[in-house]
Amino acid sequence: MRKKVMVLFLIVLMAFSVTLFAAGTKEASSDTKRVVYIARAQGDSFAAWLANAIKDEAKKYPTLTVDVMDGQASDDRVNTLIENSIINKYDLIILQANNGEAQTPYVEKVVAAGIPIILTNPRIPGIKGTNSVDADPYEQGAVNARIAVNQIPKNATVVVLNGPAGNMHSTARRKAWEAEFFAKRPDVKIGGEQIANWNKDEAMKYMEDWVQALPKIDAVVSMNDNMAAGAIEVIKGNPKFANLLVYGVDGTAEAALLIKEGLMTTTSFQNAFELARLNMKMANDILSGVQTDLVDTDIDCPLITKENVQDLIDAYIATGDLK
Amino acid sequence: MGSRSKKMPHLGAFFGKYSIYVIMVLLFLISALLNENFLSVANLTNIFRQISVTTILAFGETMLVISGMIDLASGAVLALAGVLSITVYKATGSLLIAFAVGIGVGVLLNMISGILVAYFKTPPFIATLAITMVARGFALLFTKGQNIYQIGKYIIFGQGSFLGIPIPIIFMALMFLLTWYLLRSTRFGRSLYAIGGNEEAAVASGIRVTNVKFIAYLINGVLVGLAGILLMSRVNAGLPNAAAGYEFEALTATIIGGTSFSGGIGTASGTIAGAFIVGFLNNIMNLLGVNSYVQQIVKGVIIALAVVFDIAAKNKRTKPKEIASVLESGSAEKLIDTK
Repeated sequence: MRKKVMVLFLIVLMAFSVTLFAAGTKEASSDTKRVVYIARAQGDSFAAWLANAIKDEAKKYPTLTVDVMDGQASDDRVNTLIENSIINKYDLIILQANNGEAQTPYVEKVVAAGIPIILTNPRIPGIKGTNSVDADPYEQGAVNARIAVNQIPKNATVVVLNGPAGNMHSTARRKAWEAEFFAKRPDVKIGGEQIANWNKDEAMKYMEDWVQALPKIDAVVSMNDNMAAGAIEVIKGNPKFANLLVYGVDGTAEAALLIKEGLMTTTSFQNAFELARLNMKMANDILSGVQTDLVDTDIDCPLITKENVQDLIDAYIATGDLK
Repeated sequence: MGSRSKKMPHLGAFFGKYSIYVIMVLLFLISALLNENFLSVANLTNIFRQISVTTILAFGETMLVISGMIDLASGAVLALAGVLSITVYKATGSLLIAFAVGIGVGVLLNMISGILVAYFKTPPFIATLAITMVARGFALLFTKGQNIYQIGKYIIFGQGSFLGIPIPIIFMALMFLLTWYLLRSTRFGRSLYAIGGNEEAAVASGIRVTNVKFIAYLINGVLVGLAGILLMSRVNAGLPNAAAGYEFEALTATIIGGTSFSGGIGTASGTIAGAFIVGFLNNIMNLLGVNSYVQQIVKGVIIALAVVFDIAAKNKRTKPKEIASVLESGSAEKLIDTK
């Protein structure tokens, strides 16, 4: 009896899953073009923001249907999704690579199949036949580092929080800090440097330990806002760190609020809305024949400071991300 | 010869029984010697606070593993419980309701795990793996993958203190006492050991195995929900991606603490000792500025050594008993090589 119940349960579950899937899939008419956006990892907050922004932007193009796939931060999965997209004969692929090297052979397959492809956040350099829309991760780190040169005091001790090992954005931003700040300020000492994997809670643990281990910390250099916010969470309200300088990247809503409160110094805005707008415009231009050449586009990496942060906060209030 | 032979078994028995605590104390002492900041009140408070979430999860894992089960979903369920709890707080302004929702979500998801494992006999590994995907998916779907900010007074659970003691530490202590009491002093606890030791014998002896397993998951759900509330309030945000891998950290503390994957063995005090071992390790390596990659290698090696030492010490304690039982049975000739 229990077995029969189990079998019935499984049948119902399968039918339910298939129904959900069918309900989620839009059927394209012959006049519409099918676009797939392969997100690096919808579980990653920035990647999720970009995916959501692309879905919203796609609504402005009634001749396009956009399916969003989740790479789940796995090279293997992203590569499989690329292959599946070729087999499913999408008219255009927008790819947010997890790892440029790992995805290169599969992007080349897309090009060989004659399917237009846009590489976004990041672009993968050196592949012929691709378009791209990106924010330069080196510049994202550099805009903070250049202003920090004059802000961080002499003989300061700084701590550094990095993204996941091998992550292109984290590596490029760190390179920028090395070239634009540490090379120019040999008096500054790195008191601690760890990989916090973009995560706020991991950054908190490192900062808690550094506060104990180091006689002083003058600045936190973080490769993203999430980790910077984690470091701030540890020292907020502590008068010993009233003058702590904190630098991040992304321009998240939380970072905007922290900058306004004076707890964070600067961040560079990685505008997912602008990336989405340019990606969808490019997709539409390619599929409608307006764009015939290969194009690489960069969005700006504006520095967000206390002076201009209110504009960003207002934008987040307008989208409902802040109240 | 008589007094010397009396002392050696006592020392061996001591190490066998308390090996994990010996390791914990040794690690504590070595850490104190390696860095002058280790022993500061602030640093020790940090360690306690940092391990509080995973230790609370570890208590749940301990009860499950003792009875031959496991929960691979605790990280994902923790995240879902946390984001839903925060959402309810932002909507109602009530910390009490938000707290209840967090616990409720943990219990609900674990109820499903319990039904799958206890009533449908699904292997716990598979059942809770499925729940992991469901819970994480819901957390991401509900929040559209975005973090929830501006959580106001919700932070009191993870950042507040009572009589100078951080609230997460108080909760960790309370959950330790609860787990210790359940395992040592209740019929439910004895049933867990019996089921983990020999499920068929447990059935034969009249233990309602299905019910006990189901209740174990419900209790785990309370602990996971609580952990979610504490983590999100500690980080001052609802993070749908949070706690990835926390179940393995909890299991690490559980296993280092002497809980056996084969079931029937484990204690709350062993688990908390295991949690301290991991906490001391993480802390001292950060205080010493050890590189991330090296930290991973060192942690893996020390954890393996700690478990091997613990198992070896337990085996040494068992051997004299085996010999004694053979002698008592009058089969001494079995000990003599007759060839």
